[in-house]
Amino acid sequence: MPLTFLISVCGNGPLFRSIESHLVTSIPLDTCEWKRSYGRPVKNVRVEAAFQPFDAKILDKFKNDNWNITEQPVLHLYVTECDIETYKSTVKEEIDNWLKMLSNYGIFDWMILLVETVDIKKTKNILPRTTVVDKMRLDFGAKHADRCISVLNPIKFEMKATESFRCLLQRIRYLMLTGYNRNIVKYEELVRTNREKRNQEGWSFIKYFLLQEQLAFVLEKLGLHMEALVQYDELDAMFSQFVLNSVFGEKHQWLKVFERQINDFNGITMNSKKMAETRKKVVDSSASILEFRSYVFERQAVLLNASDRQWEIAERLLPFLFATLKEIDALKSETPDGALSCWQFVCALEVLNVCDRAIESKDMTNVFHHSAPIWNLAKDKLYELGKLCGLLPGFTPTSEQLHMVVQLSAGIGDSFLDEEPLMDTKVNETDRSHSPKRPIRQSSSDRLKEALGSNQAFQKLYLELSELAISTYKHVGRLRSARLVGLDLGNFYCTLSKPQKAVVFFTDLLRELKAEKWNYLASQTLLELASCYRKMEDWIAYTKTCGSISCCLDLEILVRTFYFDEFLVSLKCIKIPDGEDGSDETIVNVLEDHFQLLSIEVQNAAQIIQDDLIVAQIKIESHFPREILTNQISLAYCAHDKQAPDSSKQSALLSMSLHLEHKQDNSLSTASVVCASKLKPLNRRSSKLPQNVTRTDFNNEISAKNVVIKPGVNVIELTSKATRVGVWNFKQISIIVDEKLEYLSDELTVKQTPFEITTKAASAVLSFKNLVAGIKQPVKLIISGGSFIFPKCSMIQLKCSKNLKIRSFETECMDAIFKPEVSVRLENFKSFDERTISMEVICELPGQRDEKYFEHSISLHCPWSRNEIQIPLHFMPPFTASCRLHSSETRKFLQVIIKGTEASLVLSDAKMTCDYKGVNLKDQNPKSQNNIRIYQGLCVSYLWEIEVEPLKAENELPVIKVNFNVQYAHNDDLDDKRNFVCKFDVQDYTTLFRIYAKIESSELCRVGSVCHLNLTISKIQESSFGDLMYEVLPDQHTWAVCGRTAGVISSEGQSVILDILPLCAGFLPMPNVRLSKYIPAGRNEIHPKLEPFPPGQVYNATKSVQIHVLASATEGN
Amino acid sequence: MLLLVSFTTTRMAVCIAIIAKDNSPQYIAALDFEKELELQYRVHSALDVVDEKCAPGLKPSQDSRDLYLGLLYSTESHKIYGYITNTKIKFIIVIDSNSLLRENEVRSANLNHMSPEPEIK
Repeated sequence: MPLTFLISVCGNGPLFRSIESHLVTSIPLDTCEWKRSYGRPVKNVRVEAAFQPFDAKILDKFKNDNWNITEQPVLHLYVTECDIETYKSTVKEEIDNWLKMLSNYGIFDWMILLVETVDIKKTKNILPRTTVVDKMRLDFGAKHADRCISVLNPIKFEMKATESFRCLLQRIRYLMLTGYNRNIVKYEELVRTNREKRNQEGWSFIKYFLLQEQLAFVLEKLGLHMEALVQYDELDAMFSQFVLNSVFGEKHQWLKVFERQINDFNGITMNSKKMAETRKKVVDSSASILEFRSYVFERQAVLLNASDRQWEIAERLLPFLFATLKEIDALKSETPDGALSCWQFVCALEVLNVCDRAIESKDMTNVFHHSAPIWNLAKDKLYELGKLCGLLPGFTPTSEQLHMVVQLSAGIGDSFLDEEPLMDTKVNETDRSHSPKRPIRQSSSDRLKEALGSNQAFQKLYLELSELAISTYKHVGRLRSARLVGLDLGNFYCTLSKPQKAVVFFTDLLRELKAEKWNYLASQTLLELASCYRKMEDWIAYTKTCGSISCCLDLEILVRTFYFDEFLVSLKCIKIPDGEDGSDETIVNVLEDHFQLLSIEVQNAAQIIQDDLIVAQIKIESHFPREILTNQISLAYCAHDKQAPDSSKQSALLSMSLHLEHKQDNSLSTASVVCASKLKPLNRRSSKLPQNVTRTDFNNEISAKNVVIKPGVNVIELTSKATRVGVWNFKQISIIVDEKLEYLSDELTVKQTPFEITTKAASAVLSFKNLVAGIKQPVKLIISGGSFIFPKCSMIQLKCSKNLKIRSFETECMDAIFKPEVSVRLENFKSFDERTISMEVICELPGQRDEKYFEHSISLHCPWSRNEIQIPLHFMPPFTASCRLHSSETRKFLQVIIKGTEASLVLSDAKMTCDYKGVNLKDQNPKSQNNIRIYQGLCVSYLWEIEVEPLKAENELPVIKVNFNVQYAHNDDLDDKRNFVCKFDVQDYTTLFRIYAKIESSELCRVGSVCHLNLTISKIQESSFGDLMYEVLPDQHTWAVCGRTAGVISSEGQSVILDILPLCAGFLPMPNVRLSKYIPAGRNEIHPKLEPFPPGQVYNATKSVQIHVLASATEGN
Repeated sequence: MLLLVSFTTTRMAVCIAIIAKDNSPQYIAALDFEKELELQYRVHSALDVVDEKCAPGLKPSQDSRDLYLGLLYSTESHKIYGYITNTKIKFIIVIDSNSLLRENEVRSANLNHMSPEPEIK
């Protein structure tokens, strides 16, 4: 609605009237930019103009600061139609007087309009020197040339005038707004001045209110709703301050107007007609404080609604209501009982209606946000009224109460719905898709009246409002508030004897409270629930609730014990409906409400072996006020998942990650930390339903039966056989009472370390170092038990291969005898034990001469296996023995050489025997050296002379067998002597030939001078050999043989002389001479053959003779 | 805690409560024993508003160091104010709406009493 501005007109009245209608219709057709003072934002406005004749009286008011902004002209217009002569003679003076008068009043918003009716161009062909307008501008428009304007009379020049007329319109609009602006500034000043006088005698707030409200009206009409609102807010705050100060004795006379009995308590209404009526009352000073306050709020609401800030209306409502109540209290205005509740209720519903129409706005969330508490307030107020008027369930209104209803209904007033509210009403039913469907066309006051009319209507409305309050609270996420409304609604349902409906709300509330550990409130809710279940005769739920109540530590012990007794009594009466599959179903309870699991400790050692008993000790705190007998306490366990991170840790930590941004040249621009979880906001804890306890797999469980749990901390041992291998974690605890009531825990939160049930193969091995035959060797039997559970008297049997014996030190007696088979007893052998048993083995030493290993084995028979375990053992001989035959002419000697190998031994009592007659062995060993130590690498020789009776010729005894026997003992254990027996064969022991060599020279032997080697080979014993061959084999560095070095001789013996040459000086060994059997070539053979003699048959008498060779004479010189 | 007990003796508040990070009550004291239940419900539902005011990203302009959350909500009889520490401990104070206490007085009174060395006015 455009604002109508007043324009005063002076001058040629009839002329103006001819164009007035044209102006009035044309001015509002276009908008004009309104430039405002004090840097306020520029605004395009559309204005209407109304013209009135110039009146100096109005200007008098203006001068005396007693003016009204709507009545004050914003522009003063002087209209004339004249030629230059008339202007000069009369019009100029008239205008001059007019302007002087205006400036006397301090008005500068004027405009002179010259209407040109005569077409100058048509009448005179010469252009005039000066026009009237130019003259006017020269005379009056020194600074305001734009205030003098000429226009072609549109009546006479229809076509031509359009352009000039448009200019006129723009000019008028502009000057109107300029003038208006000036007026506003002036009016604001007026308001301010008036406000400064507020403490003066006779000042009236109501007058001031009406003064400032004018400004608000104007601003509103200009579309400046928020600025208009500011005017009301200022007035609002000012009034509050006055009332507040009045409490402290600073009471103004005008305030007494409001100190009257409040009989009308119509709530606010967005109806313009009603508002105008109330305003009239305010002007008449006949409005009560309630009416005045309602009016101010209504105006504020209208302005907020116009600027699409419906949410703010809702936001302001509650503070407005509460503040007004306090002001009424402060002014001690009397109100009938229930009047204020009615007023608040209607106000609330009216604002909700406004909000309801606003649902299409973008601030929808905001609207809901603020409307939720209003629904709640409406519900509460209705309840108060219901209580007052006997409308609550179970009550019937008395005649007094009926009378009260009539009075209240009268006070509420009539609705103004016959006229459509001034605000946008185009919203139809389909647009209100966000909002719950409800009949909106009924006015707030009518709804209240209807509700007060009957118990049924009251109940219906109360339930509706409650549900709306709950749903709106839920919609904006205020769950706690929603539950609190639910509590009221639940209580209401209880009085309605509909406990089954109340239970829903109580249960929701209880869950919310329990989730946040508001135990005191939760226990109160439980009490409500218990009474509901009792009324419903739901004995299972009743029993559960009684049990829970008895565990509420916040309640008095008497209450708790009472409900504990109830619990026990009703528990006995419960009959459980059989499960669908006929199995015994239990009534599941949340364990955490009744017990608190403090700790779980597995008592077993680190690992539990399969089939062993798992023993765990739990500490559990019972909240029951007395002892309770449980049928079974079980603790389920499930496989421990190493990958799964601790769920509690996961929720506590946000997943933060490093975020780096690089510039174009790859240098670092910014480094920041990014939280990726913003996309998945943390869930409210209460959205989890703690009541949804599900029974996990109790196939793996440890349990205890028939345990009495005392109030307070109990230590209970749970056991079970470990059946399945793996790493396990405890998962859930279940306590069953009276076979049918089961307390099941949520996920366990106590600290626990996973326990392991294992199985591991047992093993037995022999450990030893290099083994030596013939002496005791230490061997260790190492048994590791693994997870095998050993019977009490289990044993391991060890069986040796032939010639190997073993003994064990397992038994105390150290001198156990060596046996080919031994049993090791495993007494008190437990799983995972490791035991090392020291043993000794001895391997019989055969008369073996060479250094070969003796291979043996031991087979083990273990209790955990049916198969024998073969363990190979290799023994080394402790020493080796060899025998050599030596000759001295015809005498014969036997040398036995003992060579030490691995062990350190002491040899003693070496003996050599021969069984043949006529063979005599003469011991050549010194008796003083009986005990001889040998060790690795050391050789010991023994010597015997062997004499064979001459009669016993070699052909009679070709081989003589001799036995060598020596005792040996280990260096560490000299007493433990053992015999070493060895047999040697002696053959070819008779000397057949003798070699004798001699160097013959004229003087002494010298290097470089030839000597003679006289070689004599003589036969000593008859033999069957034919020819012999000798070979002289000198060292090539010492001797050189001149001529032949070998020759064939007969077996009878012969002397040969050879020339040899010494090559170096010194004691040179005699050149070696070898004698061999010479076998001439046979028929098929080309070469004759040589066959060596065994060592005993040829005796070289000069074998180790040395010849002194002097250096050559020439060399010496 | 001691400081807050002294706060109750100033007769400004009808109920004060300390609420833990997980929204569980740690301490609740009401002047009037008869009204304790109702006041506890009031305090509990005030947490809705605390949650809203502390919702992340809602009002980044608000000084995060400021402990004072202001008026959480009001009823006909009571005004409920809230404070929150950096560790998300909440202090809820219920004041009789007839008390002529100004909001900045509530704010400063509480802050004084919560600071380690309270000023004595």
